[in-house]
Amino acid sequence: MIEFKDAAVVAPDTGVPILHPTSLVLDEQRITIIGANGSGKSTLARLINGLALPVEGQVLVDGLDTRKYGSRVRRKVGFLFTDPSQQLIMPTALEDVMLSLRRSVRSKDERVKAALAALEDIGLGNKGDVSVNALSGGQRQLLALAGVLTATPTIVVADEPTTLLDLRWKAHVGALLHALPIQLVEVTHDLEAATRAQRTLVVDDGAVVFDGNPDDAVAHYRDLMYRKTVGTSA
Amino acid sequence: MIVLGTYRAGSSPLHRLPALAKVLGLIAWGIVTMIFTDPVTSLGIAAAAVLLLISVLPPLWPTVKGMAFIVIVAALAAAYQVYRGDFTMGIDIAADLVGLFSVSIAVTTSTPMGELLDLAAAAFRPFRKVIPPAIPGLMFAIMIRAIPEVATIMRQSRDAAKARGVQRSPQALMIPTATRTVGFALDLGAALHARGIGDEATEDAVPARRTRLPKPKPTQ
Ligand SMILES: Nc1ncnc2c1ncn2[C@@H]1O[C@H](COP(=O)(O)OP(=O)(O)O)[C@@H](O)[C@H]1O
Ligand SMILES: [Mg+2]
Repeated sequence: MIEFKDAAVVAPDTGVPILHPTSLVLDEQRITIIGANGSGKSTLARLINGLALPVEGQVLVDGLDTRKYGSRVRRKVGFLFTDPSQQLIMPTALEDVMLSLRRSVRSKDERVKAALAALEDIGLGNKGDVSVNALSGGQRQLLALAGVLTATPTIVVADEPTTLLDLRWKAHVGALLHALPIQLVEVTHDLEAATRAQRTLVVDDGAVVFDGNPDDAVAHYRDLMYRKTVGTSA
Repeated sequence: MIVLGTYRAGSSPLHRLPALAKVLGLIAWGIVTMIFTDPVTSLGIAAAAVLLLISVLPPLWPTVKGMAFIVIVAALAAAYQVYRGDFTMGIDIAADLVGLFSVSIAVTTSTPMGELLDLAAAAFRPFRKVIPPAIPGLMFAIMIRAIPEVATIMRQSRDAAKARGVQRSPQALMIPTATRTVGFALDLGAALHARGIGDEATEDAVPARRTRLPKPKPTQ
């Protein structure tokens, strides 16, 4: 369970609020977050695994404060970035997955085996020795996901994981994410995908302005954007 | 993209040598190169280095391009020495640069990355009290990972400068390259953090619980 208790974030240099004090309890299996560019979605997402820390209030994951227990929280919460290149640390696919297994599998041979199995599972079985730079954007995102999953998180937070992908890869990665047997919090610009959830948050100007049913959330968001563009309600 | 100096499977003598021998050989080669400063010996050593590089059959084009680059750098360095009036020093420096570059590429082309990482980790083992054993290998891997990324950033910056008609301005290339490289480094830092890498350095390693996740079903 993810819990925000009056969590607020300000820009470190200017003190401008990025996220106004926010309180939430997130325990649904599928939660999506939508909102305009710069509205504060990533900040909200990064608060969950302690990549961002609140200047006020707290964020708790299974009761653990992200400020005090950052690394334990990150072991529970896998994080998928928009740009998979950012997430991939090692030069080849196999080495990158093995990196996620370093803590849990001590023997190197076992680690190679487990990493190969993980690559196989996600459909990159023949890419183990391929340089990360030689993979397509979609393949990289799959590899990033394989790395996240092999670390056996109980929650996955994905920050626009499909924004950079073409339609086919978008569908593929989206389907994989939604088939996960663990809690998923997904930030997305894909409004159709956003409705495949039990609950949707709409973020605007650093605040959660709608929280509830996904279809209503998308309608609310469309209306909000329309009003901002045209200056009047649709 | 084939990156110069990345491992290529093969069966040359150098491929069959253990990684440790190759790295020690590289260091020895460097020392010998520094010791001999007379132009004839230097040129001889450089020629041997180039032959060694050819023996591992590196990928043709990246190698030719890389060599062209280092030859230009060597020529500039030599030209400077000649301009200062030291002709022999000029030849020595140019030959040393080309030779060392060739041998380094020969070693990295004939040695799998994993072996080099293990070696780096082993080399730092005496310092494990100060530097956690996982860190040196990781640093090395990140460096290898960063090189093509920075090359891409540089190419994109150059294209952007060209598209906007400012290709002659060095700032138009250097400033975006520098800022975006820093951006890449910050992103990589966030990723290391998110994946809990380096946490071992700051906390007592908690014994891992083997909780296995039901595997996601591929959706083809
Ligand atoms: N470190 C920072 N310093 C200053 N401003 C920041 C910083 N991080 C984010 N912001 C600002 O906070 C706002 C929200 O950012 P973000 O959470 O990334 O939004 P989103 O993911 O919805 O596009 C943006 O206006 C962004 O410019
Ligand atoms: Mg964002």
